[in-house]
Amino acid sequence: MTTTHAAAPPADRAEAQPKRLRSATAAGRRRIWGTVAFHTGAGLLSLLWLVPIAVVLITSTRSFDDIASHGLGSLPHSFTLGGFRAAWVDGGQKQALINSLIVTVPAVLLSLLLASMAAFALSRYDLPLRRAALLVMLGGNLLPPQILLIPVSKLTEQLGLYDTLPALIGVQVGFGIGFYVFVLHGFMRAIPAEIQQAAVIDGAGPWQIYSRIILPLTRPALAALTALSFTWIFNDLLWAITVLRSDSKMPITASLLGLQGQYVSQWNVVAAGSVIAAAPTVLVFLRFQRHFVAGLNLGAVK
Amino acid sequence: MALVTAGRLRRRPRGAGRVPPLVLAFVLIPLLAEGFWVFWPAVQGFYLSLTKWDGISPPQFIGLANYREMLHDSVFHTAVLDTVLWLALFGGLSAVLGLGAALLLQQERRGVGFYRAALFLPVVFSLTATALVWQAMYQPDGLIDKAMSGVGLGSLTHPWLADQSTALYAVIVPALWRQIGYVMVLYLAGLKGIDPALYEAAKVDGATRWQQFRHITVPQLRSVNAVVLSVIVIDSLRSFDVVWALTRGGPYHSSELLSTYMYSTAFQSLRLGYGSALAVVIFVLAFGVIASYLVRAFREAD
Amino acid sequence: MNTLTSTPSTPGSRRQFLAGAGAIGAAALMSGCVTSSSSSGGGSSSNGGGTVTLQSNLSSPQAKSAMQDLVAAFNKRGKVKAGLNTVASETFRTQLPTYLTSANPPDLLTWYPGSVADTYARKNLLLDVSDIWTRPELSGYSDALKKLCTSSAGHKVFVPASYYWWGVFYKKSNFAKWGVQEPTTWDEFLALCETIKGKGVHPIGLGAGGGTAWVASAWFDYLNIRVNGAQYHRDLLAGRHRFDDPEVHKVFDTWSQALPYFDPNGTALAFQDATTALLNNRTGMMLIGTFFADAAPKDQLGDLDFFRFPIIDPKVPAAEEGPTDGYFASARTHRADEVKELMSWLATAEAQEIYLKGSSGTALPTNPQAKDAGTPLVKKGRALIEGAADVTQFFNRDSSDALQPTADTALTKFLARPKEVTSILTTWQRDAQKIWSQ
Repeated sequence: MTTTHAAAPPADRAEAQPKRLRSATAAGRRRIWGTVAFHTGAGLLSLLWLVPIAVVLITSTRSFDDIASHGLGSLPHSFTLGGFRAAWVDGGQKQALINSLIVTVPAVLLSLLLASMAAFALSRYDLPLRRAALLVMLGGNLLPPQILLIPVSKLTEQLGLYDTLPALIGVQVGFGIGFYVFVLHGFMRAIPAEIQQAAVIDGAGPWQIYSRIILPLTRPALAALTALSFTWIFNDLLWAITVLRSDSKMPITASLLGLQGQYVSQWNVVAAGSVIAAAPTVLVFLRFQRHFVAGLNLGAVK
Repeated sequence: MALVTAGRLRRRPRGAGRVPPLVLAFVLIPLLAEGFWVFWPAVQGFYLSLTKWDGISPPQFIGLANYREMLHDSVFHTAVLDTVLWLALFGGLSAVLGLGAALLLQQERRGVGFYRAALFLPVVFSLTATALVWQAMYQPDGLIDKAMSGVGLGSLTHPWLADQSTALYAVIVPALWRQIGYVMVLYLAGLKGIDPALYEAAKVDGATRWQQFRHITVPQLRSVNAVVLSVIVIDSLRSFDVVWALTRGGPYHSSELLSTYMYSTAFQSLRLGYGSALAVVIFVLAFGVIASYLVRAFREAD
Repeated sequence: MNTLTSTPSTPGSRRQFLAGAGAIGAAALMSGCVTSSSSSGGGSSSNGGGTVTLQSNLSSPQAKSAMQDLVAAFNKRGKVKAGLNTVASETFRTQLPTYLTSANPPDLLTWYPGSVADTYARKNLLLDVSDIWTRPELSGYSDALKKLCTSSAGHKVFVPASYYWWGVFYKKSNFAKWGVQEPTTWDEFLALCETIKGKGVHPIGLGAGGGTAWVASAWFDYLNIRVNGAQYHRDLLAGRHRFDDPEVHKVFDTWSQALPYFDPNGTALAFQDATTALLNNRTGMMLIGTFFADAAPKDQLGDLDFFRFPIIDPKVPAAEEGPTDGYFASARTHRADEVKELMSWLATAEAQEIYLKGSSGTALPTNPQAKDAGTPLVKKGRALIEGAADVTQFFNRDSSDALQPTADTALTKFLARPKEVTSILTTWQRDAQKIWSQ
């Protein structure tokens, strides 16, 4: 559809001015072919990417009997929302989604609050060892999490936090913070010093400078990191299964794995569960696509 | 802003002499949070790698015996080789295909936003959901085998995840599916940053498309390449969820990566000491990349 | 910015620091409130009041709802309250040691008696429940069960609730259609496979893929107890023989004869998917335990029947796999009396019948007074176990949970590359040695 639209104007013009002749028509044709080729290539590529998603969406609305007798790869012979019901109610996805939000929202807020404070101090003041502190914090985020799994689960036990959601919030904040500090530091450093000096001369303390000047100016970076960290924390599996035990406390990703273990051959339920688990991050992505892409690029050290 | 005098102050007027205690707290609180949840457990992890521990009785110090055992552990050797293969294939393909997608989709045409979004969408899925989606695709009665039979390739259908000659590759595909969009976004930003005047000049000189790519695009992307490399190496040493959910490193270790071997050794065979030693190996392998990332960050930070 | 002019110019006064710290504290407090309110609302919290936490691996839909019925019935009795926490069985399998060693463990857990329970008991992780075995609820239990639930230190650490059997399951309608009979000997079995293959159906389904690789161990167990006998099998699993012994080679030689008849997707499908394949006539038979019925559509069970794993060497007494399921309690529980109360109730006929009614009903109760489901299938299963010369449990139950992954690797490799059996067994022995020597 887009192809014809894009192609139409040059073709019209070529006809309207027959004397401009060959070269214009040829160029127009080349453009048409270019457009066709582009949309064919990009369209096929996108299709390839979207097929697995379509398969899951379709599977989630089929009935178990349909899948069992016709196979997973066949066209649907049924339509039912029973899979969603099973996943949402019996499979506990509803509680899991609530748990995920209970963990994700405070963890995102807390990490960004702490990270912005640290980034503010490190970027706007001549602290001793500030570069070292920055790198140590970033380095912690780059550690392979495997090395932390065993000690972290023992640590939460000793604190009596094992199998509680605050433990998961704590470890998410602790592990993610280094990266956010690093990104925000880069951003805050670029804010002109004059702005801060003016405030200092006006008698503002660090808290005022932080909360009323720097933080508002950092809003684009904060928005990008919010979108990004939301998906990271929401999608995490490893930490959740390390510090939690009760199914009633598991966030959605871990619960999805449990759902798969519970409804092994019932692909409609598993597919419905995957749709439920992916929906929130897809919504965040579609709504904040710009911030999202910006966030990924912020992380890239250029 | 109100004061012009600001410009006359020191060149780097960040701190007004002494650092306010609040600013110190701004750094120390996040640092403590990270120290508590990351560095302290990491130190314990290193210590545990020198012990023999079943998670139940107290750990027993055995020096470097775990590391000596690795020398003769054929599964460890497989896991190292597979990790290298994974790095090369997953890394290489996601870089090449990500760049290809970025080149294709860099032009601002109608509909390009849709294509970009389609390729990027899987990035927001959790690895668990990704794995389940692809597990459905790979089922013996799933879409891949059905489609192959449909086009007369029935003889090539396969228990993809259960055959040792295809398992590793079958697991790389979903990982790529999720990673390429990410790499594409990084390259898109990089391509956007190239000065269009360079291409104009080249065109005037009569350079072909390929020459433009070779002599302008590639060199100009050098800094982005470094970022992509870091992202890929760190992600692939970490990415454990997909492999774990799809094959658990099997069949018989043919898709075993260091990360899955570490997890099964520690949490299934309950050899927590040896598992910690494997985690240390992962850390050492990642260290080169982490260090170079940090070095660049260090320059950046100044 | 101009509004800031009135504040004193000394940066970082004490007041400001406190304000900042207060803000952080408030944020932490806020998140703490949000979370604590939810976790108490989520039911089954492990640290709340006198509720006994029961951590269950019975996660297949029917078994899970049966467990919910069971706990609800217990809670109606009033005195002690219990909370159920169901975890997907494959997750439970990997997390069990973590549960048992944690500082605040679940009070009661579903698992298995025998050698596997003893590996935990030897590490002092299990509660000594010898006293409840003297209560009337458990008085009628057989000596064999008593022995099975006793640790090597002589304490009773387990309360059994049900047992089940393994058999070669098939659809009656299919056998009738093909005009074939149940085989009793290995040769008859191979001939039957040949016939079924001729009908264009894969004769033997397996279900050792998709995370349930342990199902393949049933074949190893059965071949070993048919070829070498139950005692040899137990000794082998305990490390008193070697996996590269000629006896074990013989097991795999026998297995090779049946390999051409296995479903090529045997190691690609989880046992639940393999069940679906059997019910949809894609495979002819399947060696499986009756737990598969908890994940299968209930209306299809009527068409199912099974036969005893064929006899290979008539001189070897026919032992059967009859795994017992039940409960052990964590040694670190803070509610030992309440846990024992629950455990002894779970041993009653009343409790066991509630569970059987809610689930697929293909298990058998351990309490001699409890009635089973009474279907022909269950009667046949009971007769199989009661007539057995010896009863084994299952690979991991007769050894340890840590040994199971070594078997999974060896057996899936054998299924794909039967010719490499010698190197597979050498590797298996080496891997197993690491576990035994721990």
